[in-house]
Amino acid sequence: MTPMSHPHRMLGIAALLGAGALALAACSTTPTASASGGPGSKSAKVPLVVYSAQGYDHAMAQAFQKATGIPVQLDDNSTGPLLTQIEASKNNPHWGLLWVDGSTAFAGLDAQGLLLKGYEPNVSYNSLGTKNVPTDKSYVPTGVTLAGAMVYNKTKVPNPPTAWSQLTSSKWKGAVGTNDPTQSGPTYPFIAGMMNYLGGVSQGERFFTRLKANGLVIHPTNGPTLQALTSGQIKIALVQNSAGVGAAMGDKSLAVKYLDPVTMLPSCIGIDAKASATEQAEAKKFAQFVLSPAGQHVMQTGDPTGDSLYYPVVNGVSPLPTLPSLTGVKVQFINPYTWGSREPSVNTWFVNNVIR
Amino acid sequence: MTAAGTPVLPAALVPDDPGTRRGARRWRTLGAGQGAGSLPGLAFWILLVLFILGPSLCFLLLAISPRLFDEGRAWFTLTYLRQSFTGLTALALTNSLWVSAAAAVMGILIGVPIAWLTARTMLPARRFVAGSMWLLLLLPSWLPAIGWQRLVQQGGPMYRLGLGLPFVTHAIMGPFGVVLLLGLRCVPFTFLAVTAALSGLGQEFEDAARVHGGGRLAAARVVLPIIAPAIWSALAIGFAETVSDFGVAATLAYSSNFPLATYQVFQDIGNFPPSFPGAAAMGWMLVAAVAIPLALQARALRGRSYQVLSARTRQITRRPLSRVGTVAAVGGVGLFYLVALGVPGFGAVSGSLLGDYGGSFSITFANYDALFRQSGLLGPVERSLFYGIVAATVTATGGFIAARMLTRRGGRAARLLDFLLLASVALPSVVFGAGYIFAYNLPIMSSLGINLYQTVALLVIAYIAASLPTNARVLVGVVSQIQPSLKDAARAHGARAFGAWVRGVLPAVSRPIVMAWLLTFCAVFLELPLSQLLYAPNQPPLSVAIEDNLSNYHFGVGMAQSVLAVAIALGVVAITLGAYRILAPAGWRRIGGANRG
Repeated sequence: MTPMSHPHRMLGIAALLGAGALALAACSTTPTASASGGPGSKSAKVPLVVYSAQGYDHAMAQAFQKATGIPVQLDDNSTGPLLTQIEASKNNPHWGLLWVDGSTAFAGLDAQGLLLKGYEPNVSYNSLGTKNVPTDKSYVPTGVTLAGAMVYNKTKVPNPPTAWSQLTSSKWKGAVGTNDPTQSGPTYPFIAGMMNYLGGVSQGERFFTRLKANGLVIHPTNGPTLQALTSGQIKIALVQNSAGVGAAMGDKSLAVKYLDPVTMLPSCIGIDAKASATEQAEAKKFAQFVLSPAGQHVMQTGDPTGDSLYYPVVNGVSPLPTLPSLTGVKVQFINPYTWGSREPSVNTWFVNNVIR
Repeated sequence: MTAAGTPVLPAALVPDDPGTRRGARRWRTLGAGQGAGSLPGLAFWILLVLFILGPSLCFLLLAISPRLFDEGRAWFTLTYLRQSFTGLTALALTNSLWVSAAAAVMGILIGVPIAWLTARTMLPARRFVAGSMWLLLLLPSWLPAIGWQRLVQQGGPMYRLGLGLPFVTHAIMGPFGVVLLLGLRCVPFTFLAVTAALSGLGQEFEDAARVHGGGRLAAARVVLPIIAPAIWSALAIGFAETVSDFGVAATLAYSSNFPLATYQVFQDIGNFPPSFPGAAAMGWMLVAAVAIPLALQARALRGRSYQVLSARTRQITRRPLSRVGTVAAVGGVGLFYLVALGVPGFGAVSGSLLGDYGGSFSITFANYDALFRQSGLLGPVERSLFYGIVAATVTATGGFIAARMLTRRGGRAARLLDFLLLASVALPSVVFGAGYIFAYNLPIMSSLGINLYQTVALLVIAYIAASLPTNARVLVGVVSQIQPSLKDAARAHGARAFGAWVRGVLPAVSRPIVMAWLLTFCAVFLELPLSQLLYAPNQPPLSVAIEDNLSNYHFGVGMAQSVLAVAIALGVVAITLGAYRILAPAGWRRIGGANRG
């Protein structure tokens, strides 16, 4: 055999390395692929693949696993990448359960037939929960935060606005900031909520056009918007209430106030319509566990300065004391199926006319 | 080896050097041209197609045939491509093109003088320059952008210290700031490519110019054309890296209302429901854009040989700088680091030390305290270290081979490889990641028992595939200088092929390979878009863990974690360079001395 010359050898090494990578790949199996039980294997426990953007999801996965013995494989990510993964892999999905904020995304997934319909956990919903259960029961509300909460510095703004319309007055010129709906999950529901409140898309567009003319400042997400507030670039931040309350817990000069109406932003669980029967059954158990007293305790303690700051949707569970009371506040519900389908066009309009 | 001091005719000035041509002929039979027909060559191309070209093409096909992947009704349409020439998309594309060109040129204008000062002069503290260039490469591009924004924005530290200058704010929060930041990102690529080339360029060329009465300018006129491959390579990689950058596009450019193409891609993919065909159409435009620097490079280098690294190469002599020169050089280099590292360092560290989103100047270690109390802190660090080491090792090997193929003269396959590799650099990582899902999660793959999606293996393969083109580009400069005589000499003395390569070639390229290894390691260690889309559940890498903190309102903790991550990566760089210094034979280090600074 002729000895390999240098380039041949180098290429051979590369081929070997590549082959090694492939061998490594061959040894790897996707969790669902190896674990998928068919309809006939109901008794076997398979790993439940959970896609989640919740701050308390690690704690919940551990608690659920401990309580049921069902292994959980957690893909903890921002909402955007999770939805991208689901859309890109919809012909061969690998997720079992999705748990993120915002029912409009779930309505979109439901419209594509990607969610299991007809499941409702055996719990007693309160009024917030009841409003957010879809008629086809394709997803499960697990808590409610509020989109478009007003956060401000108490010392610098002793008399904050009391109505949405005041934000377009000269008093607040250049002083109001919010997020980009294409980067911040809770912001589209806020915009949709304002449009819903004002009577429609065109009325909403007029409101945001006036806000823009009054110097509305846009940052990508809650963090930078709140940072702009504390640094003094803006005086009022319109962000998700849990972000505002969490920030106020660290910076005592901040306060959170809800203008009427404020829009509900439910966190929801959806189950993959194409998952195996075994994994679907486990996903149902997960949803049931989340809404149980044990699960609610995990939700309220798993991320105390972030996502734990939600309003419960089941009777018998009170919100954390740091949350402002909803008494006397008008909390509006927007139809996710109506507003979910409008999301691309509204976001495009917002980017082209308000952000640019 | 020729006796020291004996004048030798520079190989680069002898294009028809018989040895070179002989070598080139032999390489051609094995390399990218006909070599593709040999088994190992074929294997290399298959791997390239499987892991770089295939996934990229899968995604790009969506632009013209969305139905192929169930993303629309049309089997063939040009609608999405047409849309990319209209409205905001067209504006973003135009911005990306001119900004990338300006940034790449800026990278050359700053990077070449710093590389020359470091490699050829007695610049004070030059040993720290090479090391700190790694720090620049380590930093994700959004970090400097956020640092600058924090500093100059209305109500920011500059204003609160009474140093608020509206025109500075206006300049930074606009196209100038975007070009500045992206241009600074290109400097390390230029520095690495040019120092690698200068290290292989013996003293004889400058001596020849000086002996014939030429001044420093004349010496530079001799040297610069010889290192042209490195400069063009840096220009091309700078352009491709800039055009695909997302960090600055999503932060400073975004806040400045200055749309860039990668942000438009992100909007297409990040919107719900995502428009993958729209993103793919923009991907085509970005791929087409890299043809510009490649065409310029090909035109500039056509028909010339740059093989100057041989056994006759003479050691370099560092020249002392005059007092004024020293002050100017130290001032210039210092200013560069202040702008490139000082400000982003301030942004990151202040973000991690201020517990109230930066609302006050009170320093607290609460974020670090909270970080170290988080459970599962170590797991992501260990994982990213492992992924980085594996990916860097495979990539440095593959990158060297690809660089060798790229230096074949005249081969169509080499030119094709060059374009394909650089084109893949131009694709934003999020596009690459989505392409991997489309390609490796096809139902047919599962029915064949191949389940790669959401496994560690696919993530590492994606890291390698994403890093290899940049890696090959960085190595092209030095690889193009290797004369076949280096190996031939060892062969003539009885060494076998591999032994000859180890003894003859490896010493000359060992340091650039180590640098390329570090480049990949650093890139993988904090890589985010691919990690987000492809990581195996329950096994998040470090970047995903950081993003988890940043996006769940724990901004300060996330910043503290970023600072910790950069410190760990720097530790790896220090250990690797230290190990090279201790373990590599003295001759290896001497040949690569210029890189050490």
